[in-house]
Amino acid sequence: MELTASYRFDVPPATLWPLLVDPAVVASCLPGCEALEPVGPDAYRAVLTVGIAAVTGRYEGTVTLADQRPPHAYRLVVTGKGRAGFVNGEASLDLQEDGGGTRLGVQGRAEVGGTIARVGQRLLGSASKMMMDGFFECLRKRTETG
Amino acid sequence: MATRLFGSGIRRREDPRLITGSATYTDDLALPGMVHAAMLRSPHAHATVGAINISRAQAAPGVLAVYTGKDTREGLQPMPCAWLVPDADLKVATYPCIATDTVRYVGDIVAVVVAEDCYQAYDALDLIDVEYDALPSVTNPAEAARAGAPQLHADVDKNQAFHWAVSGGDVDAAFKDAEVVVKERIVQQRLIPNAMEPRAAVAQYNQASGDLTLWNTTQNPHILRFLNSVVTGVPEDRARVIAPEVGGGFGSKIPVYPGEFITVFCAKQLGRPVKWNETRSENYQATTHGRDHVQEVELAAKKDGTITGLRCTVWAGMGAYLSTAAPGIPTILHGLMLPACYGIPAVKEDVYGVYTNTTPVEAYRGAGRPEATFMVERMVDRLAGEIGMDPADVRKKNLIAAFDDGHDTVTGLTYDSGDYPTALEKLLSHADYTALRTEQATARTSGRHIGLGLSTYVEMCGLGPSQVAGAIGFQGGLWESAIVRVHPTGKVHVFIGTSPHGQGEETTFAQIVADEIGVGADDVKVIHGDTDTTPMGWGTYGSRTTAVGGAALAKAARKVRDKAKVIAAHLLEAAVEDMEFVDGKYSVKGSPDKAKSLADVALMANVAWNMPADVEAGLEASTFYDPPNFTFPFGAHLAVVEVDPATGQVDLKRYVAIDDCGPQINPVIVEGQVHGGVVQGIGQALWEHAIYDDSGQLVTGSLLDYALPRAARLPEIEVLSTVTPSPHHPLGVKGIGEAGTIASTVAVYNAVMDALSPLGVEAIDMPFTPERVWRAIQQATKGH
Repeated sequence: MELTASYRFDVPPATLWPLLVDPAVVASCLPGCEALEPVGPDAYRAVLTVGIAAVTGRYEGTVTLADQRPPHAYRLVVTGKGRAGFVNGEASLDLQEDGGGTRLGVQGRAEVGGTIARVGQRLLGSASKMMMDGFFECLRKRTETG
Repeated sequence: MATRLFGSGIRRREDPRLITGSATYTDDLALPGMVHAAMLRSPHAHATVGAINISRAQAAPGVLAVYTGKDTREGLQPMPCAWLVPDADLKVATYPCIATDTVRYVGDIVAVVVAEDCYQAYDALDLIDVEYDALPSVTNPAEAARAGAPQLHADVDKNQAFHWAVSGGDVDAAFKDAEVVVKERIVQQRLIPNAMEPRAAVAQYNQASGDLTLWNTTQNPHILRFLNSVVTGVPEDRARVIAPEVGGGFGSKIPVYPGEFITVFCAKQLGRPVKWNETRSENYQATTHGRDHVQEVELAAKKDGTITGLRCTVWAGMGAYLSTAAPGIPTILHGLMLPACYGIPAVKEDVYGVYTNTTPVEAYRGAGRPEATFMVERMVDRLAGEIGMDPADVRKKNLIAAFDDGHDTVTGLTYDSGDYPTALEKLLSHADYTALRTEQATARTSGRHIGLGLSTYVEMCGLGPSQVAGAIGFQGGLWESAIVRVHPTGKVHVFIGTSPHGQGEETTFAQIVADEIGVGADDVKVIHGDTDTTPMGWGTYGSRTTAVGGAALAKAARKVRDKAKVIAAHLLEAAVEDMEFVDGKYSVKGSPDKAKSLADVALMANVAWNMPADVEAGLEASTFYDPPNFTFPFGAHLAVVEVDPATGQVDLKRYVAIDDCGPQINPVIVEGQVHGGVVQGIGQALWEHAIYDDSGQLVTGSLLDYALPRAARLPEIEVLSTVTPSPHHPLGVKGIGEAGTIASTVAVYNAVMDALSPLGVEAIDMPFTPERVWRAIQQATKGH
């Protein structure tokens, strides 16, 4: 499954960047995120509850922020598994200066297995997009309040 | 005058219990102390298995045991493949009941949990931690056969499970001299059988006596008892296998599966009865699938429509392992049928059986013959289009003329009897084919796309002579047996070796016996499915239950009749030669009032107060019947469709089936079999498709995503017949279980392509979903 999206922020990359790599911010903005604990440099153990189609699952896995080029880009690598199956994915985040704000591009791909693949596959793309929209909307609010 | 029951459409005696919910299926069993098993299945299509941590699962509430492949390696031998097709370089890869080092499809078992109740068992599955290291996977058989494809089994080069070839006649000459050659690449998509009842097993093992009882959703309990002895080590004399009510199989309950053997293993270990009942989701992943061929077909002909040769290459997906009977299906049951009802004089086929990272493939209603019929019937329509001849006329030109005692094919079969032209004529006249063609032409002038699709077929069923079974590598016999036992009151028990699971033989077999010995159908009870009470038999599949089991039964009943005649003669103080069996009575010739009923004879035979000299007490007979040949039912089907080119929607407007299964024991049951079979074939053409994604995940893994036929989307199916008896069957009957499926898929396919022919569409991969049809139309009409 491939995912492409882009988001506009009113703050420049240098302001946005610290929020994007702050585990507390990520944990509070990621829908269904129950825990995000550091387990190494730029690596976290994550616990996530996600419902897709008729399948609600709790996934445990790792999130790694690789290839960081502050404040322009990093690669998010996620592996998770739970009773509803497994997810392996990665996404490249690209932050571009855009008239005083930021244009953030996301390009990702994910591989899923287990029950979510069998039952929820058709809804997976739109569900992932919805989660991502939720995440960046939350982040945008942080930039306004912060 | 007694009414003959053979040929009467009496109601199925099975139905009251089935429709009132009072039948007992495997999952309905509850034994004292019974515990429940659940299987942990691989979520990966292909991966090496690392450490498996079961400690959390072992500590979970209610859990009695957790076993992995290491624990079962000693107690469970690898799964057997029982159709070892010869001269095919067959490579049977090791198929462990529980995977140890590598998983090869989504659904491969990696562990089993046994708990006090099934919810505890399923909950504990989540607590098992398995380390997988994912490997590249491949799901398409043609791709898996290519160099560089991911390899499933270290000892199987190029994933090639076998390469089987059949040829007859001079194919090279046929193509060299051909005036017309038509070619097509056909994809027989993968299908999921969808028996209404998923699979289940209950195993009860007495650790003191070593006796096992295994209840299982099987189409062939005797074969299961035999193979169970191989896998679990419980000897045949210690094992009793019972197929209670079985809710359909369509071939998916022929094979033996790891699930039932693991259940036996758990019962042996724990000394408590163990039940395992798969979920529908497991059924989709791990109960065998059907079809999955990629076919390249060429037909050679003359310009006048005479078919001269057929040449094809088939890549048959076998799944990750060879299921019990799998190798025989795309070979023996497929390639030998390619001369079809035309007696094609030159045929050559190469079949490559290919391992892929998918659920194992087995028989699915028709098993090999729908795929063969499709190839031939599709090419006949292509030929008709190429030479500008009506498809009906091409068929008329090529059909074998009527014969009643044998027609030899170039693939070595001898069709028993047939009258193919009459079936086609009856179809064309009943449907008023000429008027339909006129209607089609008129509709086209107003931009409506109506299509007509024909399918004339012959199939082989009634499997089959045991000597042939041996020659084609079937690791068993194919005879059948029956016992007819008459009790003192004239009531009859019939014990059969086959194992009906929805087809209605409790009714039709009673009809056979009733006529043969002179009782009412209600006086006969048919007992099947229990290896402790029924005689050995090889099961219900390949439309063989009536064709072979019914023959055994007729012969056993005739032995009872012969003995009854001897006893009746004695009681009437007449000579046996002077006795006759008329209107269900045993009477003296010319003196119908001097007669004995079966009940009179049965009472005397059982009390034995006054028996003829040298005649044993009792009124009972058994038979082992090994058929001299297969039976070859045939027929002609027509589908009428209308396609909306704006949406791609296919509307099946009419379906007419003419089938000839010989004399019909119960025409209502025959009609039901044709309905069901036709609909399953239509399902393949229009809706059904088991889809794997690029990483080998089954994405049509539930009834939400896999489209089954629904009554509302089907026309009334018009069922007619012709009657051509089999010359070698004691009752002349042939078999009707699979005929509908064999004929209908390609009839619908041909109809849709006929509808689209003015638009220039030449081929669409099944199923004909609106999206596929619409895209094909857009593609073909681009730039017009």
